[in-house]
Order: sequence, then structure tokens, then C-alpha cells
Amino acid sequence: MVLSLKIGFSPLNNSALVLLGEALGYYTAEGLDVTLSREANWSNIRDKMSYGLLDAAHVLAPMPLSRGLGLGPTLGKIIAPMALGANGNSVVVSSRLMTALIHDDKAKLLDTARALRDEISRRRAAGAPKVVLAMPFAYSPHHFVLRHWVAAGGIDPDRQVQWVVLPPSRMADALRDGVIDGFCSGSPWPQMAQLNGDGQVLFSDPDFWTLKPEKVLGVREPWANENPDGVIALVRALLKAAQWAKDADTADLAKILAQPGYVGAPLEAIELALSTEGAGLLLDPQTTTFPWISHAKWFMGQFVRWGLTTPEHDFDAIARQIYRPDLWRQAAASLGLDIPLTDEKTEGGEPAPWTLDATPNPILMPANELFDGGIFRSA
Amino acid sequence: MNVLIIDPDDARAALVAEGIRADSAHQDATIHHWPRFELARLKDINPEMVIIACESPDRDTLDALQIAHEQAPRPVAMFVDRSDANTTAEALEAGVAAYIVDGYSPNRVASILTVATHRFNLMQTLRADLSKAKADLAARKSIDRAKGVLMTSRGISEDDAYKILRKHAMDTGRPMAAVAADILAISGLLKPGEG
Repeated sequence: MVLSLKIGFSPLNNSALVLLGEALGYYTAEGLDVTLSREANWSNIRDKMSYGLLDAAHVLAPMPLSRGLGLGPTLGKIIAPMALGANGNSVVVSSRLMTALIHDDKAKLLDTARALRDEISRRRAAGAPKVVLAMPFAYSPHHFVLRHWVAAGGIDPDRQVQWVVLPPSRMADALRDGVIDGFCSGSPWPQMAQLNGDGQVLFSDPDFWTLKPEKVLGVREPWANENPDGVIALVRALLKAAQWAKDADTADLAKILAQPGYVGAPLEAIELALSTEGAGLLLDPQTTTFPWISHAKWFMGQFVRWGLTTPEHDFDAIARQIYRPDLWRQAAASLGLDIPLTDEKTEGGEPAPWTLDATPNPILMPANELFDGGIFRSA
Repeated sequence: MNVLIIDPDDARAALVAEGIRADSAHQDATIHHWPRFELARLKDINPEMVIIACESPDRDTLDALQIAHEQAPRPVAMFVDRSDANTTAEALEAGVAAYIVDGYSPNRVASILTVATHRFNLMQTLRADLSKAKADLAARKSIDRAKGVLMTSRGISEDDAYKILRKHAMDTGRPMAAVAADILAISGLLKPGEG
């Protein structure tokens, strides 16, 4: 029997798995009749999922969690049975700010954060306006990355920096016009801003966290409950897409993504973002799609750290209601992938590839390290 | 009543505005229309209600104002009435989302939403009619050209050429424009000195 469903996505390189599922026929092979819906904004994806106008979507990892924490309109639950890869964002700053932040080519991320602190002091002394940084959504990894970075430089993100939310497609213009000093957004938009000469990439996800969680597959919980086989079929299709993407030639992937109905950005920007100097997007079914409970807890820790929610929540219970490693395991096992033995892992502290306990075989994981040496233990 | 409409489509925004004015409760409404969101100007007009097209990327900016109170002249809340999910769902489907400020009466917003949705649908119908008219014109052109090809190649009248086209369309169960397009494609191949 063919099951019809509607999947929303935001035009970004890290929506790749959702797009490949259609482009390469993986949905059809799993008995799914999928209609993709290219959405202009995250709020729309969230609301359409609430009203059942979308059954599933490519979403920012903190979005389903924000619903679980009761933030924003909470009409329906969204579960996350898999991650859609790791990394994929970059931070772009104006050329003027770049000069102030990078003093030599050996500058590390921590150095740039400290240089930003000096720049903020200089501006304050001169009576100049605050540094303005933009992100695409308030409940986003971008917001947390930018705050974590500036705080590491000894800056109070609430008092010393001004934050604005802007659509990624408008960020380059705002930077060029001097409305903002920098922004963080999913690729390929930062790369396009750089190619257009509107600013320069200061750092990308892997510079901040080599294996950073970013997007997840959001599924409307009522739909998942009504279609238990459908959820597994959907995860299977996307895991197959990840297998293809992992082995694929970057040029082939870029060509698919560049299509107008998909990411629809200039091929050159997409290729730059996918290159080794790019945004570090990792699409590997085995190492970057498991919905780690420790990721959910790290994000919720960020909600508390930045005052977006209070500490009085049962974070473990919320994480387990929303992130669904059990569904991932079911789908992955049927494809013969190795299955992690735990739902949580230590985040950070792995500067080199390491081995994760799994069955039937252990998994060789990429380095998992934060730029400031921070280690997060959720359990 | 001070309303801000954010929609890059001028005609649609005008229609939504007209709809709000036509609603008896809002005849004295001041309506602003911006193609895109301008944070710097928001304070000046201080809208009581913002209607924003769903497909506008700026919607995220407005959504964020709900969280970041300090940037907004006053908190902006999304209007989601649980008891009236159908109207809201219809509005979302139609591409209109309404955001209202705190303390604004939800019953009045519901009526605005209904009007806005109605107007939006009307505009979408007009748009669809227009693109159908364009497609019809294009189809007519290719049928005329195909008739010309048949008339020259077979030495028949325009009327007979039309009958052949129509019969073929009926026999194969395809639109006449599609049959005409086939004839034109093949006639291109048959031209001497080409291909």
C-alpha cells in the first residue's frame, strides 16, 4: 500500500537527505508517495506541522524541543526519529569586522572571540553603536553557537551585543548595508555572501564543534502514531539517501541541490560550501543521523543558559519523548547498520576519531570536540 | 485600529486591506503596507495588528519579536485560537497568518482573519484565471500554426485542417494543443536542410 505524506524543507544544503529521497526515488522504493514543500520560513514549517498541513519536515534541532518546553505556540507535539546529518553552518562578518578580529593567519576561534571583546570595548569608548549579529531563528543552533562563541571571549551576550533575527536570504544585503556586523546561517547562503563580496566567512561549524548537531527530521506525533510503519519507512528512505550522499561525488550532490525547486542557490556557492574549506556538512547514516538524547539535553541546557526557559523541567523525560532513538534503531537495523548501545554519549573531548560501542560491530566515529575544550556529560 | 500588512505582492496586499476596510468594525482602520519587514520603522507606526503573508521569510523576524521583547515596541503574539483551529488552518493554507499584539480582542481578529482569508482566496482565483487565459492563448497560437502546416502540406482548406486536428485529438484522447504541438515538432524535423 502506498502512503501519501507531505514533507517541508527549508532551502539549505543540510536539507540534502530530504531532497535526495525524492530525487533518487528512495521514498517511492519505500512505498511512500511524498510531496515536498519548499518553505520560506521556519515559523511556517512549525505552524503547518501543528495543523497537519505537513506530516514531516527538515527542522532546526531545537524546534521540537522548544515545543516540548512549552515555548511558542504549542498545539501539537513533534518527534525527532533521526538527525539529518551534522554541521553545515557558517558565520560571516563584514570585511571591516574581519580586519579587527583576525590579526594573523594562525588565529583560533577563541582568539577571534577575544578580539571581538576588544572591538566591543573600542566601539563603546568611541560612543559607536553595539555590534549587531543576526541569526535565522531564535530557537536555533545558530543562536546558541554565536552566544557560546562571544561568551567564550568574555563578552556578555545579553548586554554587549545586539541580536536580530533575519531571513538568511536577506542577511547578505543587511551586511552590505551595514545594518548588521555579522550573521550565522546555514550554507550555502554565507558562501554566497562571500562570493558576492558582502562579507567574509569567519568560521564554520567544525571550527566550533567538529560534530555539531544541526537539523533533525521532525514528524508530527499524531501522524507517527497513526502510521508506525510509515515512520520507519521514512527513516529508512532518508538513511539510504545518507548512504548515497556519503559515497557520492560532491559535484553530483551539488548539482542536485542547486535545482530551482530544491536549494535553488548558485551552483558555485553550493560547491564552495560542500568543499573542504566549506561548512563541514557531514551526511553519513552511521555516524551523523542517530538522534542522540545527549544532543537534546545539550540544546535544552542552552535554552536554560541563555534564559529562554527555566531550569524547572524534567529534561530527561522531555528529551526522551521527543528524540526517538528507538525508531532510528528499528529502521537502521533493517538496513544492516550498526546500532549504538546507548542513547547518550559524552559530547566533546574527542580530538581524534574514536570508537563507539555498537552492535553487531563498533562504529568508528569522527572527532567530537568543541573549540573551547568544553565537555558535556548529560548522564 | 492600526494594521500593518507585510506582503511582497502589492495587489494581494491591497485586496486584503480593502477587505479589512469593508468590514464594518474596521472602517476607520489605518492600514500600512510594506513589501518586507523593516524593524527600524516598526516603532513609528506601532501597529496593533500585523498581517503577514505566510510565504514571507520575514515571518521569522516577527516571530522572534515575540521572544525578544526589548526589540519590539510591544510584544507581538501569534494568534492561534485553539477553539477555532479550522479558521486558522484555512488561513494558513491560504497563505495568510495573522499576528496580533497582546490584549487585542480575539473575536475581532477572527473576523479580520476570515475577511483576509476570503480576500486572499479571491486573489489566488484571479491569478489562476489569468495564467489559464495565458495558457489558452498559447494553445490557440500553436493550433493555428499546426493548421497552417497541414494546409500547406496537404493542400486543404483551413476548415478541413481544423477538422483533422480535432478528429485526431478525439481519437487519441489528447488536447488539441498537444496534437498541434506534435505536428509542429515533426514538421520541424521534415524541413529540408535541417537536422
